[in-house]
Amino acid sequence: MQRYSFAKRWRLYVLVAPIILLALSPIVVLIALATQEPLEFGSRNWRILGNTVALTALTVFGAVAIGAPLAFATTCLKLRGGGLVLAMLVFPLAVPSYIGAFAYFAATGPGGELETLFGIAPPEVRGLFGTAWVMTLYTFPFVVLSVRASLWRLDAGLVESGRTLGLTPAGTLLHVIIPRIRGGIASGALLVALYTLSDFATPAILGFDTFTRAIYVEYNAFGLSRAAWLSLQLLLLVFVVLIFESRAKTVRENPGRTLRWKPLPTTKFFVWLSTIAIWISSVGLPIVLFFVWIKREGVSSFEPSILLHSVVPAGLAALCAVIVALPLARAASYGGRTGNWMLRLTSFGFGVPGIVMGTALVYVGLHLPWMYQTTAMLILGYVLRFLPLATGSLREGLDRIENSLTAAARSLGASPVETFRRVKLPLIIPAALSGAALVFLEAMRELPLTLLLRPTGIETLTTRLWQVYEAGYFGDAAIPGILLIFTSFVAMLLFLRTERLLGLSPKAET
Amino acid sequence: MDRRAYIKTLAAAGLLGPNRLLASKANSSLAAESVENLPKIKGAITLYLGRGEGGLYEDILKAIEERNPELELKIRRGPSSALANTIVAEAGAGVQRADLFWAIDSGSIGRVLNDAGAEPLPSSIRDMLKPEFRHEAWTPISGRIRTLPFNTERVTREAIPKSILDLPHSDLKIGWAPTYAAFQSFVTAFRLLEGEKTTEEWLKAMLSKARALAGELNVVMSVASGDLDIGLANHYYTLRLKKGRPEVPLDLAFSKNDAGCLLNVSGVVLLQNKPETELFLRHLLTIEVQSYLAREAYEIPLVIGIQPPKGLPEIAQINPPKVDLDKLADLKPTLALLRKTGVL
Repeated sequence: MQRYSFAKRWRLYVLVAPIILLALSPIVVLIALATQEPLEFGSRNWRILGNTVALTALTVFGAVAIGAPLAFATTCLKLRGGGLVLAMLVFPLAVPSYIGAFAYFAATGPGGELETLFGIAPPEVRGLFGTAWVMTLYTFPFVVLSVRASLWRLDAGLVESGRTLGLTPAGTLLHVIIPRIRGGIASGALLVALYTLSDFATPAILGFDTFTRAIYVEYNAFGLSRAAWLSLQLLLLVFVVLIFESRAKTVRENPGRTLRWKPLPTTKFFVWLSTIAIWISSVGLPIVLFFVWIKREGVSSFEPSILLHSVVPAGLAALCAVIVALPLARAASYGGRTGNWMLRLTSFGFGVPGIVMGTALVYVGLHLPWMYQTTAMLILGYVLRFLPLATGSLREGLDRIENSLTAAARSLGASPVETFRRVKLPLIIPAALSGAALVFLEAMRELPLTLLLRPTGIETLTTRLWQVYEAGYFGDAAIPGILLIFTSFVAMLLFLRTERLLGLSPKAET
Repeated sequence: MDRRAYIKTLAAAGLLGPNRLLASKANSSLAAESVENLPKIKGAITLYLGRGEGGLYEDILKAIEERNPELELKIRRGPSSALANTIVAEAGAGVQRADLFWAIDSGSIGRVLNDAGAEPLPSSIRDMLKPEFRHEAWTPISGRIRTLPFNTERVTREAIPKSILDLPHSDLKIGWAPTYAAFQSFVTAFRLLEGEKTTEEWLKAMLSKARALAGELNVVMSVASGDLDIGLANHYYTLRLKKGRPEVPLDLAFSKNDAGCLLNVSGVVLLQNKPETELFLRHLLTIEVQSYLAREAYEIPLVIGIQPPKGLPEIAQINPPKVDLDKLADLKPTLALLRKTGVL
């Protein structure tokens, strides 16, 4: 990789410094806000902390318990239609978990939609176990993907040697396979933990008191200081997870053949059965519910302006994020360790839950009346939160520009401008586009930040869904819900491509 | 079961006679106007609209917008208490955004009046209301009463305590919605009537028994399905649900002269006195809007000469406690108490 000269690097740092200050400003604001009142940590705090940790632990446990075996089945077993199984298992990523929570809230329990349709009321999904169940359904694909990645790297020869030397299949699993995929499990589990900690709407809808829900309650009471204090506590938890994440390393294996076993018919049956069951409970339920509602009540309640209000701020945020991300990505790619460190600082924004970012920016807005309740503020919120998606994408593009490539262009007589235009730009543009698309789609589906920062008179797909939940007019959720699933589906495809999270096909790996 | 159908059902006209408490006595009263006689609203209005009534308020606003094509109405929706707090925070920071605040309970209104201030109302608007609902600084729009909806298959009316204080000591399965603004106003009334200590003990006793639900519609629905025996909720949820499905084993009980049968109101605070905001307010007090609220939303109309909703006993018979509605604004100690007891 190319490295800039000292002076050039410093020019870059100076350019990047204000962005970093801006990215860190929410945390500074929260500290200032929290310390306005004496900080208390009472029994309520302990309860919320306990709830949050319990929910996160249960969700991680559930996601690993479901995700790891299924990752093994889809990677190492010869299944007919294995591609379909995998696609079904990854699809829940395309459903924002709050849509799932909303569907379960409307469908289960006495008087729920399932009772209307089938006459039998399943127990209401709520509280710790209900919330953990829903969170698990929509986060376990992270584990599937990360475990698959490490299974691809596993050399079948090792497993076979183990078997030849007399290990039982169970022993092989325990002594050969699991130690090699532990890193994959850990990195999937940490993603799940991060997602669970920052999710707002799922616990809120299912009535479980976590940090995000408590922050929203305090925000509504405009106990901003208390909300900030709770936010800082939540950030600390996020920070702990992020530290673990930066340490989780996948084991480098010698390249070899991927393990392929022929499964027993019962195993095959079981894999299909569990995949279908999971798919129905995570993806099938909300989609069927939305179509039932559309059939029953039509689509007249949907105002097209809502779509416009979602698309425009998200689009502008995507544009701004890419513009801001460019110098950052350059700093990271060419700026050596300092640049890398700078990138890491801004990526903290992605770990800041939306509700926390929103609380900080509402307070900033009250002191900057020209920004308060404006679309500009909403866009700023999106940019700060989703900037890391754009930088990550751009960085990948920049890293592809080899030193030798530009040098070759220059030695062949191209001017620096021409080199930029004809060599660098074509390599950057796709990366910039995919970064922008990621930011756009994430902003479209972001709920708490939008809820807190949107200008008066503006309803988006997500705030509409929230409003429907609060008012109890469930039928009106159908169109926004379907549009959000579609949006997230596209986001997921891009995410998988950009992150190259793991070989959806063996070729991607080699 | 279709939750939407409960709310969106059409209602028959109320045929109950005027009740004593709400009957008009004062001489300076003005009859309610018809919307036909009002001039058109011209200009922009920012309305902070407390949620709770779902589509019914939205229908009214839509109708007003349709009648007044030159009105540019911007609405910010949220829980009443959250919007009240937003207005207070905005006033504190010197950022004023809302022209009108329509809240579903007087507690949120009081919070705004005390901590943000409001524009006084012209007497021409005040005199349209029944005398006991005339306030200097804000306008009640419709009334609602706290009730104990119960499942008639699981409980007899006689088994229900007459005093709200005895409720947690019964062996009934109870449901409540502590995050709902109207519930919090009820607790404030409780505090004012019974004192802090009794309220705290009552909350603690209730907490070990009652199931918390997200809203009072959910409370009433759980009672109707037999999941719960009895609940705490505003009166109209039960009446609306009964309208949609008359066969459900659901009825209303009232406690006697305590916070359990508090009469509360939704109302509007004028934050910017402009001709258009005043005219908008007059629209909400027209015969058409008030009858619509009584007929469709089962709310108690507060202007003179409109029929009350069907299915509600006379207010005088219920004997609601005398609480100064302005005092319900004292929400902070209520929230502190709810937090201290772990209810919130």
